[in-house]
Amino acid sequence: MRLLVSYVFPRLLQWAVVIVVGVTVAFAVPRLSPTQPVDQMLGRMSGMTATDPAAVASLRSAIIAMYGLQGTPLEQYGRFWQHLLRGDLGPSLTAFPTPVTEMIWQALPWTIGLLGISTILSWLLGLALGTLSAYRPHALWSRLLANGMVTIYPIPYFILALVLVLVFAYYVPLFPLVGGASGPPGLSLDYLGSIVWHAFLPALSLVLVLTAFRFLVARALASGVLSSDAVTFAETAGIPRRRIVSRYVMRNSMLPQITDLGLQIGAMFEGALITEVAFSYPGIGYRLFTAILQSDYNLILGVTLFSVVGIATAALLIDFAYPLFDPRVRYQ
Amino acid sequence: MSEPRDGIRPGLTRRDFVGRGVALGGLLIPGTSLAAFLSACESGHPVQETARTSAQLPVNVPRDKTLVIDQIFRYSVTKNFNMYSPTTPSPTRHGLVMDTLWYIDQQTGQWINALASDKPAYNADFTQMTVTLRSGVAWSDGVPFSADDLAFTVQTLMASPGLIWSSDMQVNVKGIAKQDERTVVFTLKKPNPRFHLYFTSAYNAMYMMAKHVWEKAADPRTFPNFPPVSLGAYTFQDVDPNGYWELYKRRDDWQKTTAGMVAQNPGPDYVLTLFYGDDQHKVIAMKQHALDVLIDLNTEAFQTLRKGTSSVSSWYNDFPWAYPNELNVRFFGFNQTRAPYDNRDVRWALALALDLVSLQTNYEGGVTRVTPFQVPAVPSLIGKYHLPLESWLQQLSIDVDGQAYKPYDADVPKRIGSWAKASGHNVSDSISQLHQLFGIGWWKHAPDMATKLLTKNGFKKDGSGKWQLPDGKPWAMTIIAAPDEADAYRLALGAQDQWKKFGIDVTVQSLERDPFNQRQYVGDFDVTSTWGALAPTAIADLWQGLNPFHSRYFAPIGQSTQAQGSNNWMRFRSPELDRVIDQLTGTSPDNAAALDLSQQAVKIWTEQMLTLPTVSFKKFVTTDSTWWTGWPKSDHADRQPLYWFMGGRFAVQKVVPAK
Repeated sequence: MRLLVSYVFPRLLQWAVVIVVGVTVAFAVPRLSPTQPVDQMLGRMSGMTATDPAAVASLRSAIIAMYGLQGTPLEQYGRFWQHLLRGDLGPSLTAFPTPVTEMIWQALPWTIGLLGISTILSWLLGLALGTLSAYRPHALWSRLLANGMVTIYPIPYFILALVLVLVFAYYVPLFPLVGGASGPPGLSLDYLGSIVWHAFLPALSLVLVLTAFRFLVARALASGVLSSDAVTFAETAGIPRRRIVSRYVMRNSMLPQITDLGLQIGAMFEGALITEVAFSYPGIGYRLFTAILQSDYNLILGVTLFSVVGIATAALLIDFAYPLFDPRVRYQ
Repeated sequence: MSEPRDGIRPGLTRRDFVGRGVALGGLLIPGTSLAAFLSACESGHPVQETARTSAQLPVNVPRDKTLVIDQIFRYSVTKNFNMYSPTTPSPTRHGLVMDTLWYIDQQTGQWINALASDKPAYNADFTQMTVTLRSGVAWSDGVPFSADDLAFTVQTLMASPGLIWSSDMQVNVKGIAKQDERTVVFTLKKPNPRFHLYFTSAYNAMYMMAKHVWEKAADPRTFPNFPPVSLGAYTFQDVDPNGYWELYKRRDDWQKTTAGMVAQNPGPDYVLTLFYGDDQHKVIAMKQHALDVLIDLNTEAFQTLRKGTSSVSSWYNDFPWAYPNELNVRFFGFNQTRAPYDNRDVRWALALALDLVSLQTNYEGGVTRVTPFQVPAVPSLIGKYHLPLESWLQQLSIDVDGQAYKPYDADVPKRIGSWAKASGHNVSDSISQLHQLFGIGWWKHAPDMATKLLTKNGFKKDGSGKWQLPDGKPWAMTIIAAPDEADAYRLALGAQDQWKKFGIDVTVQSLERDPFNQRQYVGDFDVTSTWGALAPTAIADLWQGLNPFHSRYFAPIGQSTQAQGSNNWMRFRSPELDRVIDQLTGTSPDNAAALDLSQQAVKIWTEQMLTLPTVSFKKFVTTDSTWWTGWPKSDHADRQPLYWFMGGRFAVQKVVPAK
């Protein structure tokens, strides 16, 4: 009970405050920008079709009311919380009347699927290979691996993505140029296979860069642990090397990486814009990008809400879970 | 074995808990992702796979029966065909499934009767317009198109504020009456000889609603109209839930559509619109013959595509390749509520300080037509404005230091032609050919005259050759430009170089499209590198383009021009122009006086240098003839190749298999 009062409840309150402040900032910032979504819409319309200037003013008022943008920003803010508490984020201003929640739920699975798998895979690969490489720094495989990772890491991501597209979608057209799947959606093997086929190149690009980063960090951390007294003592005590690496070196060096993994998973809700653009792959990043460009207030707010909740919750869970990973940590 | 810790029940160790958690997470993430993928992927109607499908296409359709079209942008939302909603995507879709009464072809200027069998008939004072509808047209569900549909469409829009055309109908229409199954009479609130323009497509025009479908809609503003009952030659077939593609199938009764009746050709069995993304993806797709037509590329991407792919071409087979006849103009807009741009002499000085031949060649690759008018130099309008007014241009003079100076330079196309030859392109010396390729003339490059104009107005140069304003402050100018509009951006960079060389401290501010637009709307700029034309349709009458520039729609700085329905971002007020617009308002566009008044307006615009037009639009509308041929090209320019316009339906309808 003492733990709940002294740590858990305050930490939960902090979590809630972070979300409210984050959402409030996300509500205010687009409205402070000079871009006005209804003006943009009218601009696009007047450039395309016959319109009477005398009719435009009344059309503008009608659209503002239809999109729920009437009233002062404070009144709009009040309405936003009323709707949010009912689970309603309002309609998208660029895809009216589609609800923002529908647009997010439509895009999010692709992002979670791609980023979730590639993040965890690269985390595991980087951690394991980095630790092993630190333990055997002079082995040929270790030096080759380290040189490879050092070469990949500084390559700008969009260059790497471009090269992969050119090589594997043009010169050797093994993978598709566009989209997340082919054919009629369903539980058929063809369709599921097409999801993997479409995701392969973007996932490969992410795994390459993320693994390189994780490898270099893991190698550096493991090198520090290897020089510790505990490892020297274990070696002196004759404990097998495999056991030293898996039980002592890897476990001790992975602790900061767990924090990073948690935050990275929380940040998935922001999407991977460059990946989505470079590989023409669906996801939440491009949706947020176009929402920002077109001042789709509701969609910006919806994606930001998911992102703020994702990161704040990841941080909260890491804090709560840390004693499980590190028995030295106590909430006393 | 470890001891139980805080919050963990006895019997489950910390290591057990972590291990099981990781295992569960490893299963949950791919599992939930897959489940969510599938739940997000509701489909339309699957299409039968055939042996001739293309591996690069996302749907299984017979490639030799499918026209693959560049979708231009990715749809944020699918399964919504309420195209009266301001945010529903319209390019290409509206030509395939929607229809309207009339079209004006952007290439030829030809009037096309579509759902109406004849031109509109007005009464003497233009307060009534009678429409006679074509017979034999049917919706895709077999219901005949009738006068009820037209009357219902207008009445529904009038009762649905917020939808496109709703306010226009409220402002204009007093009543609409069906006389018989084929005849509808509009009664207007005020005389309007151009009311039919709402039903005459340039890019689009009022789409007809199927009364038997829409009358069941609870709220037309949120009605998705999905799947749409089509009045075009195609019906919706399938869609990518992520908005990358849409598939359409030709109607069996395509001959009961106006696209079929006008084009007299069945068109491809399927049309697949497909968003590939940036130029790089489009070039790869077309090189792989997985894209049959695309909207545009930048010059460098087009050259990459053209080289080594003999089946690919744009409008011309040779230089200057690109399609030059879209009705739009690039221009520099001066904010005329800000000094010194409110001074006509300053605007003329800036024009004379530019070397357009250098801009058109070095920055635009020589592939555009120059125009001194805010009217595009296209075949349907050159003969009505540029050529008839060239003698006026040659006589036009401006006062420079008390002397009349003639600024027009008729040799501009010759100099561009010389540049093209020197660059290895095959260009004729014939002046009519040069006019056709590069337009008529433009303003002389005369920095000495520009200097005199500025000096006359109190400008001075400092010791380093930089211009100072009449109040002694340095002249610093910012040009706003949107990099995604490549030609406008390149022109901004070119003007920056040239005006800097002339002694002005110029900066180009790059903005994303919407902030760029908004800065124009509220007047937050010195100079904008932008686009727009006085001729939104290929007809001689310029009222539609001129009217939003009437002073009554002037928006003060800080107030959006959009709230006034105006395109006057430059914020000028010209009583002379107002008088001509007022006269034109009551003149029928079919009256010869409409052309005369429109020419007067163009002269006033040009003399006062209200804007500084540079070149007409060009687009590398590019086709691959591997699977389909018959696209309009310069050697059979019988219709517009702008497939994304509503009138592009006829081009789509006319393509034929190559094999």
